[in-house]
Amino acid sequence: MGTGSSPRLTPERLARAKSLGFSDRQIAHLTGLTEEDVRARRRELGLAPSYRLVDTCAAEFEAYTPYYYSTYDRGDDEVTPSERRKVMILGGGPNRIGQGIEFDYCCVHAAFALKADGFETIMVNSNPETVSTDYDTSDRLYFEPLTLEDVLNIYERERCWGAIAQFGGQTPLNLALGLQQNGVHIIGTSPQSIEIAEDRKLFAAMLDKLGIPQPPNGTATEVEGAVAVAARLGYPVLVRPSFVLGGRAMQIVYSETELRDYFHHNAALEISAGRPVLVDKFLEDATEVDVDCIADVGNFASPEQGTVVLGGMLEHIEFAGVHSGDAAMVLPPHTLSYQVIQTIRDYTHAMARELRVSGLMNVQYAVKDEKVFVLEVNPRASRTVPFVSKAIGVPLAKLAARVMAGKTLAELGFTAEIWPDYWAVKESVFPFNRFHGQDIVLSPEMRSTGEVMGLDADLGIAYAKSQMAAGSPLPTSGCVFISMSDAFKPRAPEIARVFADLGFEIVSAGKTASVLEDAGIKLRRIFKLQEGRPNAVDLIKNKEIQLVINTPSGQLPRADEVKIRTTAVYAGVPIMTTLSGARAAALGIAALKQQGYGVKTVQEYH
Amino acid sequence: MPKRTDIHSVLIIGAGPIIIGQACEFDYSGTQACKALKEEGYRVILVNSNPATIMTDPEFADRTYIEPITPDCVEKIIVRELEEMKRLGVPLGQPRTSNLESQIPHKLVLLPTLGGQTALNTAMALHRSGVLAKHGVEMIGANAAAIERGEDRQVFKDLMLSIGLDVPISGTAHTLEECRAIAERIGQFPLIIRPAFTLGGTGGGIAYNREEFEELAKRGLDLSPVNEILIEESLLGWKEYEMEVMRDRADNCVIICSIENFDPMGVHTGDSITVAPIQTLTDKEYQIMRDQSFAVIRAVGVETGGSNIQFGVNPDNGRMVIIEMNPRVSRSSALASKATGFPIAKIAAKLAVGYLLDEIRNDITRETPASFEPTIDYVVTKIPRFAFEKFPQADSTLTTQMKSVGEAMAIGRTFKESFQKCLRSLEIGRSGLGGDGRPWRVGTDVFGDRDLLPRDVISRKLTVPNAERVFFIRHALRAGFTVEDIFQLTKIDRWFLTQIREIVEFEEELAATKN
Repeated sequence: MGTGSSPRLTPERLARAKSLGFSDRQIAHLTGLTEEDVRARRRELGLAPSYRLVDTCAAEFEAYTPYYYSTYDRGDDEVTPSERRKVMILGGGPNRIGQGIEFDYCCVHAAFALKADGFETIMVNSNPETVSTDYDTSDRLYFEPLTLEDVLNIYERERCWGAIAQFGGQTPLNLALGLQQNGVHIIGTSPQSIEIAEDRKLFAAMLDKLGIPQPPNGTATEVEGAVAVAARLGYPVLVRPSFVLGGRAMQIVYSETELRDYFHHNAALEISAGRPVLVDKFLEDATEVDVDCIADVGNFASPEQGTVVLGGMLEHIEFAGVHSGDAAMVLPPHTLSYQVIQTIRDYTHAMARELRVSGLMNVQYAVKDEKVFVLEVNPRASRTVPFVSKAIGVPLAKLAARVMAGKTLAELGFTAEIWPDYWAVKESVFPFNRFHGQDIVLSPEMRSTGEVMGLDADLGIAYAKSQMAAGSPLPTSGCVFISMSDAFKPRAPEIARVFADLGFEIVSAGKTASVLEDAGIKLRRIFKLQEGRPNAVDLIKNKEIQLVINTPSGQLPRADEVKIRTTAVYAGVPIMTTLSGARAAALGIAALKQQGYGVKTVQEYH
Repeated sequence: MPKRTDIHSVLIIGAGPIIIGQACEFDYSGTQACKALKEEGYRVILVNSNPATIMTDPEFADRTYIEPITPDCVEKIIVRELEEMKRLGVPLGQPRTSNLESQIPHKLVLLPTLGGQTALNTAMALHRSGVLAKHGVEMIGANAAAIERGEDRQVFKDLMLSIGLDVPISGTAHTLEECRAIAERIGQFPLIIRPAFTLGGTGGGIAYNREEFEELAKRGLDLSPVNEILIEESLLGWKEYEMEVMRDRADNCVIICSIENFDPMGVHTGDSITVAPIQTLTDKEYQIMRDQSFAVIRAVGVETGGSNIQFGVNPDNGRMVIIEMNPRVSRSSALASKATGFPIAKIAAKLAVGYLLDEIRNDITRETPASFEPTIDYVVTKIPRFAFEKFPQADSTLTTQMKSVGEAMAIGRTFKESFQKCLRSLEIGRSGLGGDGRPWRVGTDVFGDRDLLPRDVISRKLTVPNAERVFFIRHALRAGFTVEDIFQLTKIDRWFLTQIREIVEFEEELAATKN
C-alpha cells in the first residue's frame, strides 16, 4: 500500500533478505505481513532455497553422501532425485536441560528401523554433537534449523510421504500442528490425541470416562484465583504454568504465603487467561512410577483391536515431587504391591486404547496408600525410552517407528511384556559444580544434564553401581554426617541405626543430634555452623566425612544447610537429600561390603 | 601399511553421563569408532555407563558393558575379557615377532582417545597404577607419554618453547605460596587460573584483583585431582583459533578444519560462538598456523589420530601463541566433522589400528583418500545454548569455565546467512538476530523488539561476556554505536561486527517498507 516514494518489499528486496539469512517470520514482522503472507509471496516468486552438498571438496569431486544445507544464493541445487517413499524424521535441535541425548537416540533408531523397512529416511537436525547428524545414519541428512519454514521447505522439496514428530522431544512436537495444517502427513499417534493428553479439560474428561483417578486440581489466571483453588484442594499444592516444559517454574507450595510469593517471583511468566497456572493437590510421600509403553491401536479401525505392551515400569527412589528427569529410578519396581502393578498396567492399557496410540506413550503415576493416580500422559517418545530399551533388551524406539509406518506389533513379534530378573537403576547427573552458590536440592524443576545406569542381579549393587557411575561412589566405611529437617527428624534414628550397624561413625549437630542421642545412638556431636568450629563444613572440606545425609527444610532452605550441601558437592562427598535416597545408599553399602561387585555385558543379560 | 593383525580385541572407553563439557559428541565419536573397528573384523569391547547412547546398543560392539567408568571397574572388565579371549582359544601374549602385520591376532588393546576426558583420565590411571602393563594391555591411538605431554600444561609449554613456538607467560603451582610467587613474576592482573586435569576447565577463572586471585587459586588447587594449577598472563581480548589436525604413523599430517572464535579469549571455546573456516586471518597467517599445528602434533608425539590445537593472536601486533592441545577427539572434532563432512572419529579409529591416511577412502567422494585436506565453499556457525534460567542463583557471566549445555550449528554461503540460521536454531524463541516481534528482557525490564535500548544497558551487556551478548551488538548498532565503539567494548573482530552491521542495516531497510 506504499505511496510512490516509500520503499516497498520488492522481489529483489525479499531475495536479498533471504540471502542475508532473514527468516520469513522476521521479514513478516518487519514489513507488517504474516508469516503465511511471506511464504505465499516467496512461492509466487519461486523464491525457494537451493540445497547444496557438504562434500569435503568444494564440489571438486562427485559426492555420494547426500548431506545438505540450504542457501538462498540462487546457485545450483544439488539434491538428487529419488522416487522412493520418503519419511522425514525431525530431530531435537540443540541439547538443553530437559531435552538431551535420549531424544537423539530415538531419532537415530527411527532412521535405522525405517531404512531397514525400505523407506528412504530424511533426517533434519541442527545439533552437531549428535549421531543423528552423521551422514550415514539416515539416507539423507539436512543440517537445518527446526522451524516451520525450514522444515516445510525440505518436506516440499523432497516430496515426503510422512514425517515423524514424536521422537525428537518438544522441539518437533511444537511444530507438529503447524506442519499438519500445511499439508504434512504426521505419522503415528494423531496430533489430536496428543492434544487430548495436553489439554486439561479434554484429559480430565477422558480419565472420567475411563474411571481413572487423578489428583484433585484446578486452574487460575491470577493470584486470588490460585489461592481459592489451593484452599479448596488443601495444601500442599503443586503449581506450574501450563505451557512450559522440563518443569520450568514448577513448585510445591505449602502455604498461602508461599503461593503469593510464587506469583510475585514468576511475574515474568505472563500468566493470563490463555496461559493459566495449573494447581494440583500434591500427594505427599507418594511413590512415583513412570511407564513407557508401545501400542499399535491407531493402526486399526477399532480401539479394541491391536496390541498394547508395557516396555517398562520405573519406580522412583525419591518421593513424589522430584522431576522425573532428575529422580533416581528402579526397573522393575522394588516396593510396589502386585495389586498396584496390575492397576498401573490396566490404566496404561485403557489410555493407550482410548488415545488410539500408534507408537510410544509415557505415563507418570503417583501411588499413595495403595491407590494409583495418573499425573501425566505423553503419547510420544519419552526421556526414559533408551533406558527401558537397554534394561529389557528390546529396541522400543525402533519398533515404534515401524509401527508408526504401518506395521503391527504382532508382525514385529513384540506382544508380551518383559519383566527382567535383574535390576536396572537410573541415576541422574547434575551440573552443580559449574554453578557456584546454587542449592542442589532436587525439586519439580529438572536440572540434570545426563544419566547413568547400574545393572546387577542384586538391587543394592545395582544402586551402588549407579552412584559409582554418576561420580559419587558410596563409601564402605568412615563417618556419616546426618542432619534432618524437622519434618524428618522422627525418622532420623532409624536411618542412623542402619549406618551405625554398617560400621559407620555417626556425626551430627544441633537438634538432629539431640534426637539421635535421645534414641540411644552413639555419635560424635559437632558444632552447628553458627555455633562454632569445627563444624560440618570444616569436616567435609577435610575429607573427614564420607557421606552426608541432609534433608532440606521446605521452600526457603536455611543458609547453613545450603552451605553444607554445596560444600559437599565441591568436595566430591556423596550427599543424599532424601530419606529414600539414604535408605538406598545403605542398601548399596551393605551389598558392597558383603559381596563386592562384578561386571557383565548387556549381551549376557538379554 | 595395512592394518595390524596382532590385535584381537579392542576395548573402547566411552564418556559416561552427559555433563557440561562432555556431551553427546562422544556418543557420536564412540559410535563411529565401534562401527569402524567392527568393519575391520576386530572384536570390539565397549564400556560406557550411559544407557542413552547409541554406542551402547548391543549391535554396535561384540561385548557391551553398561558399567561405571572407573579404573577399578575397567580393570575388572580387562580381567574378565582376557579370560574370555583365552576361552575363545586366543593365543594370549604368544607371538612375539616385531612385524605387526603378519601375526596371529592375540592382543587386547585399549583405545582411550574417543571417550573425552573421562576415558583419557581412566586410561591414564590404569597406566600409572601399572594395571595395563600387568595385564599386557597396549594403549592405541595415543601413547601415555604423548598424553602426558599434551595434558600437563608445564611440560607442554616447555616443549613448545623448545621447538621455537610462543606461549603465554605462566607458571605451575601446587601451593598457595607458589601461586603468589608466579603472580608476582607475571606482574599484572588480570590473571588466568586453570586447574590441571579437570573437565571443561572446571574450577578455572579470571582474577582481576588479589582477593579474587587467592579465592580462585585455592579452589583450583582443591578441584584439581593432582592439586595443580596453571597461572597465566591474560590474553583477554585476543583472537582465538582452533585447528583440527590428524596424523598417521608414517607422519602424514592434515588439517581437517580451521575454526575461529567469534568471542575473543576469556570465554571458554565451548561457550563461544565459533565459525569455520577461519575468516579474519590472512593466508600467510593461516599458513603459519597450519605449520605450527603440524609442529605441535609431532613434538607432542600423537602418533595416530586427531588432536585439537588452540591458538591466540594479539589483534594489536599479530603475536601468535599456542594455548593448548587436546591429544584426543574433542567437542571441536565433532563440530569439525559435521562442518566438513570428514568423519574424524572413524578415521582416527582406523589410524589407531595401523592404516595410513592415504590408504583410507573418503566415503563421501569415494575417490579421494583421507589424506586430502577438506576444502569448504560455505560458512559454518556454531552458537552455544545456555540454561541459566534453571540456575537463577548462579552467576551468568561467561568465563574460562564452560557453562553451556548444548549447541546449534548452521551452514550458509555467507557468514550472515549461516549466523542468522544458527540463531533461529537455538530454540530460545528467536527467529534470527532481531526483528521477529519478540520482546527483550533485561533483568526485570521488558523492551519491545524494535525499541532502542538505553546506552548504559547496552554498554554493560557488551563489556561483560554473557549469553545474550550477540543480540546486544544489534541493539548497540541500532542505538548508534559504531563498529569501532563495539570493538572497544567487546574486542570482537571488526570484520564480524561489520557483517552484523549489514544485517542490521537491512533490517532497517525492510522495516522502512512497512507503513
